[in-house]
Amino acid sequence: MLTPPVREVLDDARNPLGVAGIEFIEYATAKPQAFGQVLETMGFRPVARHRSREVLLYRQGEMNIIVNAHGGSLARTVQPGDTPVIAAMALRVRDAGEAYRQALGRGAWAVPTTVEVMELNIPAIHGVGATRIYFVDRYRDFSIYDVDFVHIPGVDAQPPALTGLHWYGVVQYIGNDRMEDWSEFYGELFGFHALPDEERHGILPKGRILASPCGTFFLQLIEPEPGILDLDGEESWQRIGLGTPDVLATVKALRERGVAFVESAGVHTETRGALTRSSLGGVMFELVHDGR
Amino acid sequence: MAIELFDIREFGMDTISLAGTLPAKLAAVRAAGFSQIMLMARDLVSHPAGIEDAVREVQASGLRVTGFQVLRDFEGLSAHLHDYKVEVAKAMLEMCHAVGSKVLLVCSSTSTHATGDPDVLARDLRKLAMLAVPLGIRIAYEGLSWGRSINEFTTAWDVVCRADVPNLGLGIDSFHAVASRTSLEELDLLDPSKIFLVQLADFMWHDVPSAAERIETARHFRVFPGEGVHSEQIAELVRRLDRLGYRGDYSFEVFNDDYQQMPLPMVAERARRAAVWLGEDVLHRSVPLPGRMRLRR
Repeated sequence: MLTPPVREVLDDARNPLGVAGIEFIEYATAKPQAFGQVLETMGFRPVARHRSREVLLYRQGEMNIIVNAHGGSLARTVQPGDTPVIAAMALRVRDAGEAYRQALGRGAWAVPTTVEVMELNIPAIHGVGATRIYFVDRYRDFSIYDVDFVHIPGVDAQPPALTGLHWYGVVQYIGNDRMEDWSEFYGELFGFHALPDEERHGILPKGRILASPCGTFFLQLIEPEPGILDLDGEESWQRIGLGTPDVLATVKALRERGVAFVESAGVHTETRGALTRSSLGGVMFELVHDGR
Repeated sequence: MAIELFDIREFGMDTISLAGTLPAKLAAVRAAGFSQIMLMARDLVSHPAGIEDAVREVQASGLRVTGFQVLRDFEGLSAHLHDYKVEVAKAMLEMCHAVGSKVLLVCSSTSTHATGDPDVLARDLRKLAMLAVPLGIRIAYEGLSWGRSINEFTTAWDVVCRADVPNLGLGIDSFHAVASRTSLEELDLLDPSKIFLVQLADFMWHDVPSAAERIETARHFRVFPGEGVHSEQIAELVRRLDRLGYRGDYSFEVFNDDYQQMPLPMVAERARRAAVWLGEDVLHRSVPLPGRMRLRR
């Protein structure tokens, strides 16, 4: 049989793991209550508690944030400190086991699992610094939280998103001369691709933006300022970006809840985006105009 | 210590040239005026107090780690042999990272179990490079002159180009280039930004025609640049790389049984003389070049 000529990139080649968005972002912090208050001002609600560890699930709309105060003993694990830091990102994929095997086959580091009895084994690989990237395929009829978490009684398990907030992406700080390495890493393992330089969203357009293969979220890679000596070259996920159809309406709603925004000559609230002021020693959230 | 008219910071020693303990090697290299050192995995794993203490000693020495060696026979294997080598590679990468080295040296495979298909070799090196990304490590791939299918920098370069990944580049060792009689004009075809490490050594014989002779010579009878009989070729190699725009490190990869039983300062002094010869007579460096002050990578 003749093979028909290839005239287009088929979906499978562009998105080999079937990535379909962010399932959750996990923060590590030794001050889970203080950080919980920050999340609540941002519109998140605590909805469930982990069965065996000091871990809480916050939610609004489609977004799940896990707040983990439990360090763990594995090497290359983000240890909770006073300032909450992003410790993990979970990607929705077509088949978690298959995604995990494919990623390992292309050069990802497996994270050893340490599940307790009756807990879900969520496959994970190492990300930037000590972070992890989880693969989750149970997000439609059945959710991972049904197994490992207990719902907090009397709380709406599906709190609506404030002013249409949704995942926009994650900002990653990288070391000097590391732009190509990380672009290749996300491209090779997951199918991310760089946006053209002229295509920028929000108010902080630095660096390079990588679009997820499903096109629903972004990673922004930011190098140190030129001329700044980067002694330790530390790399991390610095902040999350939240998309909103109306930045000004979201800013107004958040201000009423007590959130403060950066208003300087360089960075200030406008229709394209906004940046919350740093709290708890460095946590900030970026708002980006995004009509979805 | 003599004060040089030029800066020898672009040259470094390798622990394999010296006998004794790691602290003694670090001190000797430092005392000879070098600011960098090439380490091998054995320096860490054979340390009597363990890897962590070895890492602390390296950090305390103030020496920058040029690179970490050596991952052997990695590429081209299949099934369980591949999986086994990936585990070895991960251990090497973790030690490389722990000791603050930004470069891991990988020598082309000598294994009869490995395929010679350059696309398979490239695929495996690409995977290795991906493993190295989160740790901030670059992979320098070197064609051993007795490598099974990749045994010159020209063929190693072909594999690096096929793999096409930013943190995979070439390691060039003058010994292998001279031993395999690769035309140095081929250097002009390389992309200098993809040369991640240059190792320099000479030897005493004029010719090493067989693989067995090359192995024997490479492992026991190397000498520092300027001490052997191929000074002109080494000078030409360094001049060509410099003209090409290579501004990375030069490390003296000198395996020598005699140096292993000489006092460390004496061997380090020979290395210093090699650096002076290369800097003054070959590259005509007179004063530290403007722009040599670089951000740490």
